Amino acid sequence: MKSIFKIATIPLFAIIVLAGCKPESIRDLGIQRDYLESLNGTWKLTKATQVDEDAAKKGFPFSQLDITGLFPYTDFVFKLDVSAGAPTTFSSTPGASPKIVKLVSGTWTVDNLQYPKNIYLKSGLAADTVSLGGYPVGASATLQLKKEKKDASTGKLLISYSYEFTKQ
Amino acid sequence: MKQLLYLLLFIFSGFAVKAQNPSFSPSSFTAEDEVTIYIDVTGTGMAGVTDAYLWIFSNPGLSGGADGVTNGSWTNSNEAAKLTPNGPNKFTYKFTGTTMFGQTPAQLKSFGFLLKKKDGSAQTADYKPYFFDPLIFVPSMTRVFPSKVDKDDVVSVNFDQAYAVVPNDQRMTPTTFTVTMYDDMGNTVGSAISWPLSKTNATIWSGSFIPDASFTPAAGRKLMKFKYKFNGTVLDVNGLPVTVSTADTEVTFTSML
Repeated sequence: MKSIFKIATIPLFAIIVLAGCKPESIRDLGIQRDYLESLNGTWKLTKATQVDEDAAKKGFPFSQLDITGLFPYTDFVFKLDVSAGAPTTFSSTPGASPKIVKLVSGTWTVDNLQYPKNIYLKSGLAADTVSLGGYPVGASATLQLKKEKKDASTGKLLISYSYEFTKQ
Repeated sequence: MKQLLYLLLFIFSGFAVKAQNPSFSPSSFTAEDEVTIYIDVTGTGMAGVTDAYLWIFSNPGLSGGADGVTNGSWTNSNEAAKLTPNGPNKFTYKFTGTTMFGQTPAQLKSFGFLLKKKDGSAQTADYKPYFFDPLIFVPSMTRVFPSKVDKDDVVSVNFDQAYAVVPNDQRMTPTTFTVTMYDDMGNTVGSAISWPLSKTNATIWSGSFIPDASFTPAAGRKLMKFKYKFNGTVLDVNGLPVTVSTADTEVTFTSML
């Protein structure tokens, strides 16, 4: 009697376990974000920060400085155009602001159309690169661009500038 | 033909730019890093000499200086101080600060050197000061932020009165800072410029400028370094304001990409 009960328990246990393995419907993740398209538009600079990367790495005090108010950075306006899912032209209007990018206008490309990290600006033979510090998607309406400066002889990262923009 | 001319002009304009002399590899280094000096003695008292010896010393103009352990005596340099020839009038020498001076990284701020004949009968002028990157943060009266800057960076100079040791520096009320710019030939670029300071802390005054936005070098030249000082007022025995300035602090630009 005992062995019959044991034998009956095994398939019953297997049924209970396997019943939990039935496929579930995949939850809807929402509309896929188009990061490239989120860059499209006219952006005005709101904040500029300078970081002494070497000091930050060593844990020194005085490793970061908000430079927004030191010069008229908030004059700077940056326009990025996207058409048919691809970057096309850009323009920068510095006003009295220091130069954030070296070029005034031209074309731009990215390293990855789906998840862009670097923005490559080109005007004739001249070129400049800025990296994206944050996409203006979801709760964030801020475009964050970052420019890094490295020692020309060693390649060591020495200074970085972070710029925050809001859409016009 | 015109294109060929432009190409030749482009190529030779590259040669026309004078390289920094002496130069170091790597360009920035701590007292614990091995660094190679590259030097061209053309136009000095050592021009044409085939055997050159290094005479090196730490912290020139500061307290706590020491001679290099390889120096030997002035009239009989140590063979360990002999530089490696690197072409006519050119030499290299490799050293590590802590080993060379027998001092700790905290003690080593800068160094200077000259090249000489073994018997001291000929020499170059002093090359100094060249600063070691600090391994620990050492507060000081004057400080530039970021610690390394290029010509197009936002450069902030800071005066921290808490670390002043000269009476006028301790007493003065800072108002402005003055920058004198130099090109790669050592010539001053334009006139010195003064800007106002703002108080950013109980004892700290700061001011900022962008070198290439305020100073334009002559054609074919480039900005190489600058000196800055802080100006302010103290009251004399009659209670009248007198303008005083700190000593100059020199900063050489770091080439960045």
